[in-house]
Amino acid sequence: MNRLMGRLFATRYQCNVQNNLHTSGKDFAWTKNTLPQSFLHCNKKIYPPQEIGEEPRPAFVCHQKTNIKYSHEKLWYIACFVRGLTVDEAIKQLSFVNKKGASFVKETILEAQDLAVKEHNVEFKSNLWIAESFSGKGMHIKGIRRHARGRLGEVRYQYSHYFVRLEEGKPPEDYFKRNPLNAQQQLDKWLDQMRKRKIINSF
Amino acid sequence: MANTVLTKLHPLWRPPQLICLPSRTTTTKHFDPKFRTHRAKKYQKIELPDMNEDENKFSEQKMRQKMKERGILPPRPWMERPFYIGATGGIFEPYVPPEGDGKASLVSTSRAKQTVQLLEKKSKSMLAIRKVKSFDEDFDTKEFCQQAQNIYIKAHESLVNGFRYQPGFWELAVSAPVPQRARQAVGPGTSHLIVITVRFHSRQQLAVYDRFGRLLHGSEILAKDVLEYVVFEKHLSNLYGAWRVHDKIIPDWAPPKDPSRLTRVKPDPEPVKVEEEVGEAQKDEQPAIADK
Repeated sequence: MNRLMGRLFATRYQCNVQNNLHTSGKDFAWTKNTLPQSFLHCNKKIYPPQEIGEEPRPAFVCHQKTNIKYSHEKLWYIACFVRGLTVDEAIKQLSFVNKKGASFVKETILEAQDLAVKEHNVEFKSNLWIAESFSGKGMHIKGIRRHARGRLGEVRYQYSHYFVRLEEGKPPEDYFKRNPLNAQQQLDKWLDQMRKRKIINSF
Repeated sequence: MANTVLTKLHPLWRPPQLICLPSRTTTTKHFDPKFRTHRAKKYQKIELPDMNEDENKFSEQKMRQKMKERGILPPRPWMERPFYIGATGGIFEPYVPPEGDGKASLVSTSRAKQTVQLLEKKSKSMLAIRKVKSFDEDFDTKEFCQQAQNIYIKAHESLVNGFRYQPGFWELAVSAPVPQRARQAVGPGTSHLIVITVRFHSRQQLAVYDRFGRLLHGSEILAKDVLEYVVFEKHLSNLYGAWRVHDKIIPDWAPPKDPSRLTRVKPDPEPVKVEEEVGEAQKDEQPAIADK
């Protein structure tokens, strides 16, 4: 209800906001925001200017989709699925995932990609990868279900949030650190360990 | 007995129902929907809010209906305080900088025209100065130029520090001894707004960074020659009126701007709407009402 009130004021307020000209107090239209804020604050962080010849700092953009009518636990699987992929690959993969949440994730990534190009000085929209992707718990509404012998069961109608951070550049080679060493490296490591052994009571 | 071939040949024998069913792709549904309605009845009906619907796109009727449902009164009328604007939107009689900053040859047609016009305007300019002196007796053109330069520097510094993401870098390396005053013009009627165009010739450095500290425009080590015609404005009849930077005149012969460092995708051109002609043929096709 608070939100609707806020929106109502916002509609009246819109003509002034567009012109950026208003002389009354800001608090007049204030309603408490219950949506997650801290993740989007990363978008406002300012980094110091870089020296000449320094490698350009990769741009990133944080984006979220709030109060999706979907369980955050189910959404988590899809969020994990796209981590460490390029944006194009993620979108291609998600369009074949036969789950309700996949469409929300895909939409959010596309929105974030658009934001990156329009507002965060990213030159090529395909030159992005998914650096962070996770789900959060949103509003939960409890309902009632009837059982036998006059008993009740609790039903939860769950809403969830989805958060994504896109970073400029190519994804790391081994995002999940599954196989950090190749065969030669493993052999070298083993040899090294063997040579470092200490034989007790020897010279 | 029940499984013999004879029973299967019987006309009443039906093939198993599984074959008749179309293949299912969704796996979340119960294979037998018989008790679906019964199970649904066990749940208490709740109206779940759609949190992502856009209230701005509601029609007036729907908004009214929603507010009635929730018992909300329409919002109070928005109370804005009045405010005063002491500046004009445009420039009166904008100064036209002579071609090539007055150094182009007199033979060129536009330059010759401009010299003639300049003589006409000079007399007007003198009148304007007299007007300023009638309000401000201490007005001195040389002093004003120094004052204008200070305003110009302050304006640039605050502009650079107030960039949206990253404070930029701006420095006035060398300024011409005193910026030359180019022209005055007085606003029409009794408004007593005066506009003075000042020519600034200076060397400046500018570097603009984005949020990540990457260089977007300019350079911190290279200085550039800048020639600008800056318009200052003052409301004379206002006792507390102050000189303000009002506008900048960019002449036609000015060199083109540096291109942006980033490439962008060119947006698709908007599709041209083809209006469908409502031909007379359509009108004729309407069946005539039969006489009774």
